[in-house]
Amino acid sequence: MKLIRKNALFLPVAICSVLTLVGLESKPVAADETCMSPYMAKITGQEDYVYVWTLGVEGLGDGQDKLVTVDVNPASKNYGKVIQTLSVGGRNEAHHSGFTDDRKYLWAGGLDTNKLFIFDVSTDPAKPALHKVIEDFTSASGGVVGPHTTYALPGRMLITGLSNNKDHGGRTAMVEYTNDGEYVATYWMPTDGDLNGAEKGGKFADGYGYDVRALPRRNVMVSSSFTGWSNYMMDFGKMLKDEEAMKRFGNTVVVWDLHAKKPKKVLDVPGAPLEIRCAWQENHNWCVTTTALTSKIWLIYEDDKQEWQAKPVADIGDPAKVPLPVDISIAANDSGLWVDTFMDGKSRYFDMTDPFNPKQTYEATIGKQLNMVSESWDGKRLYYTSSLLANWDKKGADNEQFFKAYTWDGSSLTPKFAIDFTAEKLGRPHQMRFGAHSLYAQTRPAGQDKELATLESK
Amino acid sequence: MMSGRGSQIRMSALVMGACLLLVLGLTIPAVPADVKQETAGGAGAQLAAGYGELAYVLPAVGSYSLPPLGMAGNGRVLDESGAAQDLHSLFAGKYVLLSFMYSSCQEVNGCPLSAHVLYKIKAALQQDAGLAEKLRLISLSFDPEHDTPEVMRLYAENFRYAGAQGDWRFLTTAAQTELRPLLTAYRQEIQREITVNGGQADTYAHLLRVFLVDPQRRIRNIYSVGFLHPDVLLNDVRTLLQEQQQAGSRLPPLRQGKEADLLALAHNPPLGLPPAPEAFKALTEDKIQLGRKLFFDRRLSINNTFSCAMCHIPEQGFTSNEMATAVGVEGRSVRRNSPSLYNVGYASRLFHDGRDSKLEEQIWQPLMARNEMANPSVGYVLDKIRAIPDYQGWFETAFAGQGVSMQTLGEALAAYERTLLSADSAFDRWYYGKDAQALGEDAQQGFRLFTGKARCSTCHTLNEQAALFTDNQLHNTGVGYRESMGIHPAKQRVSLAPGVTVEVDQSIIESVGETPAPDLGLYEITLNPADRWKYRTAGLRNIALTAPYMHNGSFATLEEVIRFYNQGGIKNATLSPLIQPLNLSDTEVGYLLAFLNALTGSNVEMLAADALAAPVGDPVSTVPDGGKLQ
Repeated sequence: MKLIRKNALFLPVAICSVLTLVGLESKPVAADETCMSPYMAKITGQEDYVYVWTLGVEGLGDGQDKLVTVDVNPASKNYGKVIQTLSVGGRNEAHHSGFTDDRKYLWAGGLDTNKLFIFDVSTDPAKPALHKVIEDFTSASGGVVGPHTTYALPGRMLITGLSNNKDHGGRTAMVEYTNDGEYVATYWMPTDGDLNGAEKGGKFADGYGYDVRALPRRNVMVSSSFTGWSNYMMDFGKMLKDEEAMKRFGNTVVVWDLHAKKPKKVLDVPGAPLEIRCAWQENHNWCVTTTALTSKIWLIYEDDKQEWQAKPVADIGDPAKVPLPVDISIAANDSGLWVDTFMDGKSRYFDMTDPFNPKQTYEATIGKQLNMVSESWDGKRLYYTSSLLANWDKKGADNEQFFKAYTWDGSSLTPKFAIDFTAEKLGRPHQMRFGAHSLYAQTRPAGQDKELATLESK
Repeated sequence: MMSGRGSQIRMSALVMGACLLLVLGLTIPAVPADVKQETAGGAGAQLAAGYGELAYVLPAVGSYSLPPLGMAGNGRVLDESGAAQDLHSLFAGKYVLLSFMYSSCQEVNGCPLSAHVLYKIKAALQQDAGLAEKLRLISLSFDPEHDTPEVMRLYAENFRYAGAQGDWRFLTTAAQTELRPLLTAYRQEIQREITVNGGQADTYAHLLRVFLVDPQRRIRNIYSVGFLHPDVLLNDVRTLLQEQQQAGSRLPPLRQGKEADLLALAHNPPLGLPPAPEAFKALTEDKIQLGRKLFFDRRLSINNTFSCAMCHIPEQGFTSNEMATAVGVEGRSVRRNSPSLYNVGYASRLFHDGRDSKLEEQIWQPLMARNEMANPSVGYVLDKIRAIPDYQGWFETAFAGQGVSMQTLGEALAAYERTLLSADSAFDRWYYGKDAQALGEDAQQGFRLFTGKARCSTCHTLNEQAALFTDNQLHNTGVGYRESMGIHPAKQRVSLAPGVTVEVDQSIIESVGETPAPDLGLYEITLNPADRWKYRTAGLRNIALTAPYMHNGSFATLEEVIRFYNQGGIKNATLSPLIQPLNLSDTEVGYLLAFLNALTGSNVEMLAADALAAPVGDPVSTVPDGGKLQ
């Protein structure tokens, strides 16, 4: 028997074990795992499963949202196969998901119905089970709509909202829950009318929300801003033609006091800043985001006067063609950034060695539309999904819905396998999270492993 | 197996203590190189932040709140003397910092870190007798086999140099059976390490957690490596000490409302409106209140996301200013602009195509439409309302014993909608109130154009007693024709951000857009070709508040609307003969605009505030279809 925790690592959490620490095999290069909360365990070796939070499509299969488990361990006889689907009822606009800090539960939000589905992924990582559904998120939070990012803090979850129950616009809040699913508090995003003590660093204070990340060593939390229910649920083509609707996108990033959860500064970042990733390296006091509409990489950084600032540092593709950057992933050593663009289906790699001057060094077309990207800890395996939002996805033949696995050798991507989510009657695959038996001191169940000869013959 | 390890246990506690003292002196033990990037302070840090100076300025004591995170668990523990007692009894009305640990833990950023932090806090207590009196430190072992009370007593000896003042308890449990409920209560996930030979190691993997508990035994903060610093913990304890009362949940400062006397408003329509119609006489306070609650209840839709107010938004003129045409359940496209509800109680034809005539009956269209609230049947709606606890008895009270039915539901919603009366505008005060100062000169010029050269009042009618500014008829202006015929530029101007606009090919828009639903206006009701693209004349009261305009929201501003009519609409076979080029000058367009802007009623803020005071119906934990899954 090998070291049971060989490929699991509790990152900023402490492990009282030297044995755990010496089990590491390689230094991280790039990692979706590092894009998650710094407060939780990380898979450093081979992930066993990818959990795909999938939107139901009316008329396709059972038509409802589901958590799809894909076996991604090459040593498994089920490699590349869907090994479980768990339907949750209804179409909730499945979108993002995130683990609790103990990584026992996966919280997955529904942007439309405001439900939070909590899956037990630790009892049997191969077969997530629906543990609890929070149905009263909106009433408990005082009117927050659109639970998006589910971000682990010690013993609790911070959930960003996108909208509200008064007008379905972009005014929203972040909501805190205990790991047990008990409501704790609501933190409204600062607006011109209620800055809540924040400094307004530019022209805007729109009160919109989207993503959140923490930089604990600077006691900083950074949030971004997208749009309200009316837009993210609206048919994309209809919205593009609607002048009024197009005025309702976020133009701000907010820097918060992480400990006090109070906004410190509202920064102008026009054009719907979405995903946020914060640097890991010591003295790299910056985070990065991309604006969906204006197609730029923005650096959110602490200057030499310890003031937080925002600066556009690179274009993504041709902004005039609105490639729509959606998901990003930062390297664990902060040296690179993957950027997916929805409209052209491309995944781009930017050299971030100088974060003030990113350079694109690689791109590949993954499909006719593209949204999420997730990487293994060592950056050698990348997984992609296609769906952005139910009503924003492309129509007709371009509406490819896939989960695709690639390997990355540092210079090019190589396809390994793909699953057609339409052909499999599954739906629109969105966010991916990794699972592994090793996280829970478990070994893979007997019978899952391939015969060695089979493995070698491949 | 465990009993034979006594000497080893004692040794480990002492070694631990020695190791800890090294740590307190900031001697850095050897750590494998690969671990450098996975410690708490971020990549590259070897020691957690808690060992050094805090790298940032903490928020001022008392400037923030620490909302409760649930109740702190209880269990049977053993103190250093071996006496058993409840953990809660040791809380004893104090603020408590509770740390889970085990004495032989050697990971520098694990248990030694929490011990170091508590040591520093106890040292700080030597200078603060008041705080020392109120605060208790507890280290509780999760290794009962090794950490006997004797070992914990020995372990505690390592920390005596912090000073005598202050209270630090070192606890363990009698056995795993006693420990397990505590670990569960505090969600402390403990895993015994496995050796290379597959046996159990002496070490554990666990999430480092320290809990701050208040005198009411509520958890007020949970610290992991990143925030486990003595300054942070002391800041939090002192913040709680300043807390005058329970922090409470931070319910929304979103928008506050104020209830209005809607019944009085309905009985005395504001200046400029016709006398209250006959139907207003049946209004009662109970019916209006019930209707208002229903109007804002999102549970009246199939998936609990849509109330009437999600499209008829009170702060946006009881329409939506944020989209041209509405969206319904699951974002399904609605082909028309949400009509404003101001003064809808006077309307004899409802919807843009006039297909309904009574408010009580029209409610079933949005309730049942698949692209609006999408309820599957009348019975479903009625049964759902009957099952919602907060409606219990309300219908019976409002309707003389009658429960929820198609009729009472319609009457209740109509009752509220009839109270949405708004007039007494600057124009009304000038024209009907005979206040010569009430209306500006430009607006007066605009009124003369409105009733004269511009011929607006032909359809947007008024008389000497009152004005609703609508003839309640349907006309073809060409807007619908243009939409049906797909008359639009090859490129679409799209605003990406303030000041950033691009031209986008229609083909790109079509690649991400569904095919728009057809819309032929009144023809769809009468099937008479002469009625193609006819839509109801909109009332103009509060017109400045109800952008965008026309049945499809295709004009963003009133000026665009005026210029559209000035050019004579859009020619088509059934264009209303009333639509002719007007030859208005830019100055005259400005006058008309001034007039339209003078039609905003004096009570619009009151109506919006009243609406904001209404409860919004969302699923709660007891809702009939909620919480089914466990």
